[in-house]
Amino acid sequence: MPAILGMLSGEKFVEVSDVVRVFPTPEGPVRALDGVSFDVREGEFLSIVGPSGCGKSTLAMLIAGLMRPTSGVLAVAGRTVDRPQTSLGIVFQNPVLLAWRSALDNVLLQVEMRGQDPRRHRERALELLNSVGLEGFERRLPHELSGGMKQRVAICRALIHDPPLLLMDEPFGALDALTRDQMTLDIQSICARGGKTVLFITHSITEAVFLSDRIIVMTPRPGRVDTILDVKLPRPRRLAVRDDLQFAAHAREIRDRFMAHGVLRDIDATPRERVP
Amino acid sequence: MSQGTWGPPALTLVAVAVLWELAVDLFRIPEYLLPPPSGIAAAMGADWRYLLLHTWVTTKEVLLGFALAVAVGIPTAMAIVYSKHLERALYPLLVASQSVPKIAIAPLLIFWAGIGTLPKVLVAFLISFFPIIIDTVAGLRSVEPEMLHLARSMGAGEVKIFLKIRFPTALPNLFAGLKVAVTLAVVGAIVGEFIQADQGLGYALLQANAVLNTKLGFAAIIVLAAVGIALFVIVDVIERRLIPWHASRRSDLAAGTL
Repeated sequence: MPAILGMLSGEKFVEVSDVVRVFPTPEGPVRALDGVSFDVREGEFLSIVGPSGCGKSTLAMLIAGLMRPTSGVLAVAGRTVDRPQTSLGIVFQNPVLLAWRSALDNVLLQVEMRGQDPRRHRERALELLNSVGLEGFERRLPHELSGGMKQRVAICRALIHDPPLLLMDEPFGALDALTRDQMTLDIQSICARGGKTVLFITHSITEAVFLSDRIIVMTPRPGRVDTILDVKLPRPRRLAVRDDLQFAAHAREIRDRFMAHGVLRDIDATPRERVP
Repeated sequence: MSQGTWGPPALTLVAVAVLWELAVDLFRIPEYLLPPPSGIAAAMGADWRYLLLHTWVTTKEVLLGFALAVAVGIPTAMAIVYSKHLERALYPLLVASQSVPKIAIAPLLIFWAGIGTLPKVLVAFLISFFPIIIDTVAGLRSVEPEMLHLARSMGAGEVKIFLKIRFPTALPNLFAGLKVAVTLAVVGAIVGEFIQADQGLGYALLQANAVLNTKLGFAAIIVLAAVGIALFVIVDVIERRLIPWHASRRSDLAAGTL
């Protein structure tokens, strides 16, 4: 039971060991993940950054038990993941709210589906909605809410049952830049309060550096762990931390990895590459 | 459903009726070819008992056929969505069967089911159950995959997912299918009556034509249209009551479906 020991010492809440995932396609099998190993320590905020198609979302699905790996093992809280995990909260890029339910009732869906009495969780749901600035919008239907508000409701739905693990798969991907900034700050304060373990998937270098304790940089497909990076910035972080030298150094480090893999190509590199 | 949506088409109808009346008068068109609206109205007033009797017969056939289509269509759609095997074995055939004109089968149905209400109900059913199946299948499949992932992460079973997520999500599509189906059911009942009947609006229409009573024929057609519209409106009202969240969103896109 080394995993349980790990938990007690505040480490290895999520373990990913040598995970391979192959998708069959009409053009033949596609290797989305190719031998990925890493841990998420208990209570830490870990981001995974990588280009589109590097298997980041597949990783989230595997950890949630919503998909099986082709080979390799995943464990959460010391238990092998072999079925859909229920002690976690998930936020997708798409808020996927039920159109006929108010903001409050969408949050309460989480406890209803678990067979619990939603009335017992009303107070906490309202508290959560207030904490993300949705006071006064509890009764609104999704089509009456902005994109950012919908995503806040989705975050509350992922937190209402107080899960130890929060999985976020590009949660701000569909939002405008200003809303993203605000949401980034909100996520920071929500996670600081709860002492949650968070796995945050993004392709935004800035978001990853701002929010994370550690960052995993993935290679383009087939996805592998390229680099694991410790973010040494004091918390709580203000938006102005993005002007900090240390912040810029972290961002550069990730950007350099992307350039090394050809995910990013700077302007001066292009003409030279064209020379055979 | 507001006056705004009813007003303009009503005005158009009135204008058409006035022009029609004037044209018939001006060009001295014989009544057996094209009766004036006033003449049709007079025929409706004079023969209202006769028309009412046949309207009731046709409406009954339509409602029974439609109810049967709902009762068979929705469970079939569920079976197709939940069973890969059924989907592969049944769905292509159902789609292909739509190239068979139902009207061509109608005489056979009369031959098999005999005379009376049953064969008309069967034609109404056959012609109206397809849109219910297709739209319900589309609706049940329209649940976003992320929503299903979330539901599983909440530990919910299939029954709960169906009741709380899948079925409500399918309702807008389901109602779109029901609206098409109820209109088609009217067509089905009339086709059945055209082939063989001794009562119903289709029968009344044929009878009136046979004796060149064009006024009564037109009256029957107008009543028939009214029945179709009334049934459509009833489905529409139920839809608005049941899924107001959808109706309110839809009104932004299209100014009502009528």
